[in-house]
Amino acid sequence: MTELSSAPLETIEPIVSARGLRKSFGRKEILHGLDFDIPAGRIYGLIGHNGAGKTTTLNAMLGLTNCEGTIRVLGEDPFARRAKLMENVAFISDVASLPRFLRVRELFALLTNIHPNFSQEKARSFLEGTDIKPEMKIKHLSKGMIAQLHLAVVMAIDAKLLVLDEPTLGLDITYRKRFYRRLLEDYMTEERTLLITTHQVDEIEFMLSDIMFIRDGELILHMQMETVNDKFTQLVVNDPEQQAAARQHGPVYEETRFGQTVMIFDGVERDLLEPYGKLSTPTLSDLFVALMQRPTANPETAQ
Amino acid sequence: MKAFTALVHRELIEHRGAFLIGPLLLVAVLFGATILAFTVGRVDARFSGAMLTVAPLRIYEMGFLGFGVGWSLYLMATLFFYAADGFAADKRNNAMLFWKSMPVGDFKVLLSKLTAAITLLPGTVYAVALLSGLLLYGVAYVTMLISGTGTVAALGGIAMVYLHVALAILVSFAVGLLWYLPYMALVGGLATAMGRWAIPVALVLPALVSTLEWVTLGGLHPFATRTWDYLSYRSTFPLMEDGYVDAWFVGTEPFNAVAYATDLVSLVDWTQVGIGVVFSLVAIYLGSEYRRRSNDN
Repeated sequence: MTELSSAPLETIEPIVSARGLRKSFGRKEILHGLDFDIPAGRIYGLIGHNGAGKTTTLNAMLGLTNCEGTIRVLGEDPFARRAKLMENVAFISDVASLPRFLRVRELFALLTNIHPNFSQEKARSFLEGTDIKPEMKIKHLSKGMIAQLHLAVVMAIDAKLLVLDEPTLGLDITYRKRFYRRLLEDYMTEERTLLITTHQVDEIEFMLSDIMFIRDGELILHMQMETVNDKFTQLVVNDPEQQAAARQHGPVYEETRFGQTVMIFDGVERDLLEPYGKLSTPTLSDLFVALMQRPTANPETAQ
Repeated sequence: MKAFTALVHRELIEHRGAFLIGPLLLVAVLFGATILAFTVGRVDARFSGAMLTVAPLRIYEMGFLGFGVGWSLYLMATLFFYAADGFAADKRNNAMLFWKSMPVGDFKVLLSKLTAAITLLPGTVYAVALLSGLLLYGVAYVTMLISGTGTVAALGGIAMVYLHVALAILVSFAVGLLWYLPYMALVGGLATAMGRWAIPVALVLPALVSTLEWVTLGGLHPFATRTWDYLSYRSTFPLMEDGYVDAWFVGTEPFNAVAYATDLVSLVDWTQVGIGVVFSLVAIYLGSEYRRRSNDN
């Protein structure tokens, strides 16, 4: 299910392009031939269950694993040219992956020499107002402080693509909200592309421009958020007769919450559903639950 | 080059405990013990000072050279453990993902570790060795002063001895590092894949290869093979008996670092050193390919 129809986006070379992307571990195939393009200047959410293939897809993009098929990031083969690619790609794959033996100032000095697009001044400015001081050893920082530091590091890298794989895992709600607000306010520009995976989908929904749902190694939804809002409708209906009538329109998902029946429809005109009950746009987490439980969410492959 | 130098430097930061702080503590403890020994009368300053008048320069030479041998053994042991630990250290605390987010290839990273193992890390130990020699000479000279045998004129001779021995230790370190480079690279390459298990594997590997040769090509027993002979030869530091050191030891001439270095350099099989360098690069390359392809982050 792909509805990326904006004409200007199609004419610009995508930041990421995958065709027939497959990955197997032993005899088990994890990715079943993914096809997708990620245009520049977008904020993508890659959502899926544990083991759905999110991290494997990201690893393929970042050159951390070799896959069958074709994948190009900024026009390069990531596995063959990872070192070169990392000049323009930044990523956080785990909240606690910073080397702990370093002090903060040592980390910045090291990065200044290693990364041509890292700005120590920017990194220091991002840490202003936090409790993190240059002399502190990373191993003595709390998990939340390490996340703040790691975010400051990647935001100080002038990259075209930023990939965040569960960047706020294990952090409390305050840190999580601060993390995403900082990212949006201080980092995102039209030239940059952001790709995030997280299980806390509701927390990033406000900032996403596009979503990709991945299930069992297949993309079952790849869509701009505006299209999601137009295409999917949530109906809350109490009356059994109205429920029966609504079911005639083929809800993709139905459940009962606190005595109320909630249905989610795909591509059904709102005018048709309005008489049955209260309409709204499903949240990403509702949509995620709905589509992930469908036996065949999208017969056609996302492109 | 800037990135490579920074990577070499980070090895010192990560392993400064073994290569800087540990040796400094060792020196501090030895120095403290020496001072304490004099303070409580365990060593008589007048007596030891008088001892230094018998053959003063020879005692300075042997003392510092003894320290040099000690530091060489310390360096060998720590480098062996460094190769096994340092080459796998990026996996610690999931940090491999951070290092892989840097625009540096895996071969370059591993090469920086090997380069650190033969430059900056031994260089740090060498600096501490010089300090230990300086303190040794300081203590010895003070005891001479206390016993009334120390003179300002003697200082010039002592300084020359210090320079000669320091140069000899430097040359020994350099030759030893080049000679044992393939062993470090082998342990490092293995450690990239199997972490600290590289230590027992590296110890067992020679016997295993030798046994394989014995099984396939024959021989008296598993340790009477060409492989074993070659590895024994390659494991021995190229200092021959009846060389300069032996001649100096039984003679009366002052220690001459240039003569020692000339003798040592002439004893080195430089073809073997070249083969060792090529072997090391291959081992590091294979390790880097494993690291590049591994999902073991």
